[in-house]
Amino acid sequence: MLNRITTLFAEAKDLNTYRMSNKEMVIEIAYISSLCDESKVSDFILVPFQKELQPFDDIVERNPQFQIIQDPAMWASIILRGFVLLSVKGRIYALDTARIIRNETPATQVETAILGPQLALSEDMVDSINIIRSRYPSPELAMEEKTIGSMSHTRIMILYDNRHVDPNVLSEVRSKLQSIRIDFLNAAGQLERKLSGKLGLLPTIIITERPDRVANSLQRGKIVLLLQGTMFALIMPATFYEFMHAVDDNYDSFWMTRMLILLRYFGVILTITMPALYIAVISYNPELFRVQLAFSIAGSRSAVPYPSFIEVFIMLFMIESLIEASLRLPKYIGSTATTVGGLILGQAAQQAGLVSSIMIIVTSVVAISNFVVPVNNMSISIRFMKYPLIVPAIFFGLTGVTVGIFALLCYMTHLRSFGKPYFRIFGPIKAYTSDIGQVSEE
Amino acid sequence: MNRYFYYNVFLGSMLNLMLYVPHILIKYRYNGAISSMLVAVAIGTGLAYLFTTVTQAFPGKGLPEILYIFFPRAIVIPILLFLAAMWYVASAIAIIAYAVLINRFFNPDTSAIIVLGLLTLVCIYGATRSTLSVMFMMEMGLIINTPLILFILMKSVRSENISWDAIRTIANYWNQMPQLTPIAAASYIFTGYINFSIYNRLTPPNFRLKFRWMIPVFCTVIMLISFFVPIGFHGTETVVHYIYLWSVTSDSLIMNYGFIERVIFVFLILYLNLTLIYTTSGWHQAIEMIKSCFPSNKPDVDQREIPWINWAIATLFAIVSLLYLHFFDEKESFKLASAWLVLRLFAEAGTVFLLFGMTLRYRRKSSL
Repeated sequence: MLNRITTLFAEAKDLNTYRMSNKEMVIEIAYISSLCDESKVSDFILVPFQKELQPFDDIVERNPQFQIIQDPAMWASIILRGFVLLSVKGRIYALDTARIIRNETPATQVETAILGPQLALSEDMVDSINIIRSRYPSPELAMEEKTIGSMSHTRIMILYDNRHVDPNVLSEVRSKLQSIRIDFLNAAGQLERKLSGKLGLLPTIIITERPDRVANSLQRGKIVLLLQGTMFALIMPATFYEFMHAVDDNYDSFWMTRMLILLRYFGVILTITMPALYIAVISYNPELFRVQLAFSIAGSRSAVPYPSFIEVFIMLFMIESLIEASLRLPKYIGSTATTVGGLILGQAAQQAGLVSSIMIIVTSVVAISNFVVPVNNMSISIRFMKYPLIVPAIFFGLTGVTVGIFALLCYMTHLRSFGKPYFRIFGPIKAYTSDIGQVSEE
Repeated sequence: MNRYFYYNVFLGSMLNLMLYVPHILIKYRYNGAISSMLVAVAIGTGLAYLFTTVTQAFPGKGLPEILYIFFPRAIVIPILLFLAAMWYVASAIAIIAYAVLINRFFNPDTSAIIVLGLLTLVCIYGATRSTLSVMFMMEMGLIINTPLILFILMKSVRSENISWDAIRTIANYWNQMPQLTPIAAASYIFTGYINFSIYNRLTPPNFRLKFRWMIPVFCTVIMLISFFVPIGFHGTETVVHYIYLWSVTSDSLIMNYGFIERVIFVFLILYLNLTLIYTTSGWHQAIEMIKSCFPSNKPDVDQREIPWINWAIATLFAIVSLLYLHFFDEKESFKLASAWLVLRLFAEAGTVFLLFGMTLRYRRKSSL
């Protein structure tokens, strides 16, 4: 066995291969020391083998932690997952001794809630499942394991509640996972893009780090995917409303949270339409607003020497670079960038006559109301959505904006998240009432 | 899922403005418009009741499938093509009228053809979606737009500038004999139900349509508003001079609070949305009708892969609309709309009665 393994692996210092003997027999073991917990190796293999209290082949046969490996083709991948491979009397066994470096007791950082649980999912799948299981103590919780990625062999886990899950959705998820072709799978977002199509404007899968959101979704019959190595879970199917819904909405005061939901929708509408509307109103239909307002808008951009859409492009470029810079910079200089950028955007650009003061307000509204979306991947998708609307606004003004919004509406209502409608007001309220689009059995 | 039926009814009745219905009615205001409206209430409600009875007998089946039960293919195909043309013409009239309207009020610098090009582009995209998607789109569009439209209608009714005297003067002509054209125009307001000839494919197996009384109530209110309010604003004589009657009427209103002062802009944007929804829905139905002529066609209410034939038919529709706008003007468009309304009344009544008779026979046969 050892010869074969040494030929399989490249010259690697951390590949340990031993041949050991006691009075009865000779065994061979192979493992990668950096992936394994060496104390486990010595506790389970080295010590019992040397002490000889019990015949070692007896131990490996009786202890279910030693799994028999039949197929030599699996050896390399097994060792690479942190297993010890040992050959006892011609038989090959594997023992899980993996040592995984992960973030210890992670706190929620991406999707925070004030009064909600502060513990996030872990980067290790087993820890994540521990967190989820303890929040969702139900015997109905089913799990399936798969590996994706021809090189990375990333382990993923499909979790669902056996009683609530929609079998059609489940089979669609399985078949989609089956058809994924990818070399390296590193992050949850990558899997999301593979599952829901590369060119989608809006996400149809929620990416979350919150165990309470995961538990809620499981209870509502959704399917959760966990990836080894990321602390984010994928929840599917998802509707547009779930992206607008923060977990706090169930924890805080009823009326305030309803108002916040309304505010979020309002914010999304503003952040998508404001730049386009600005162009439309300035360049095509200034008579839309009442006279005083139209005058003050026109007056504020009297110093600006170019058409409104150039102004919009300048400001959007500035604000997007500001957001991007504050994300990319090391944390210690990050605040400097925002201060400098904020000063330039707020004061100097307007005083220099490059942009109008109304445009500065528009830009800040666009930026701030973009951040009210609770789920991060939706927030990023919405950040892009304003650009397609600017194009018809440049050429057709207010008509273009309206038509663009209508096209967006058509797109959204045509989206399905794993066969479920993505954008509709509400489905059947009572479970027994029938829904439109149900096909009669013939 | 009753609401999906009523979305169609509401959409059809609110969209009457785009098909010159108020203008036609007001043309006949001294000779029979009001009595024609009364007759239209009866006709419209009656047809709606008969038609919904038919569709409820065949849940999950669209008009093409129902026709194929009764008749051989050779008879069904001409009927379907004719109906598809009817749907297409209605939507085309609405969208062409709107392109001209936009050209008048919003973008006077561009040509109407370019605006129509933009509108048809979106309608091609919308109409090629699956039936279920079009229905959801209609739902969301109406939920967003209807409250504001009702707000404008209420605002117009409660306006101080409305002259109730003029309205009363016209109302005194109620005893004139009804005439065909105003009947056809007024009964159009009730015709939203006919959209269920395709959307009936979406109804679940145990579907029961409730609240049918809402059809006459809602549509009559809309009809009365869209006929009498312009008279109240413009007076008994001037009112006939405007072809886009309601745009001018909404321009007589003012909003004292908020950013936007002139109601006409809100009104135009809302009706642009409604027209787009109506055209998308109409073209979609026409596409489905034409597709049903092919023997290989299997109706699928939620098709994920858009077949190329959808694109082809929709593009053809758009090109025909553009050519129409290039060669004809509003006056001819208005004449076409009047003629279409009359033809529609007969076509629709014929279809409904035919189906109803066949359904009765079908039921008797199946109960034996």
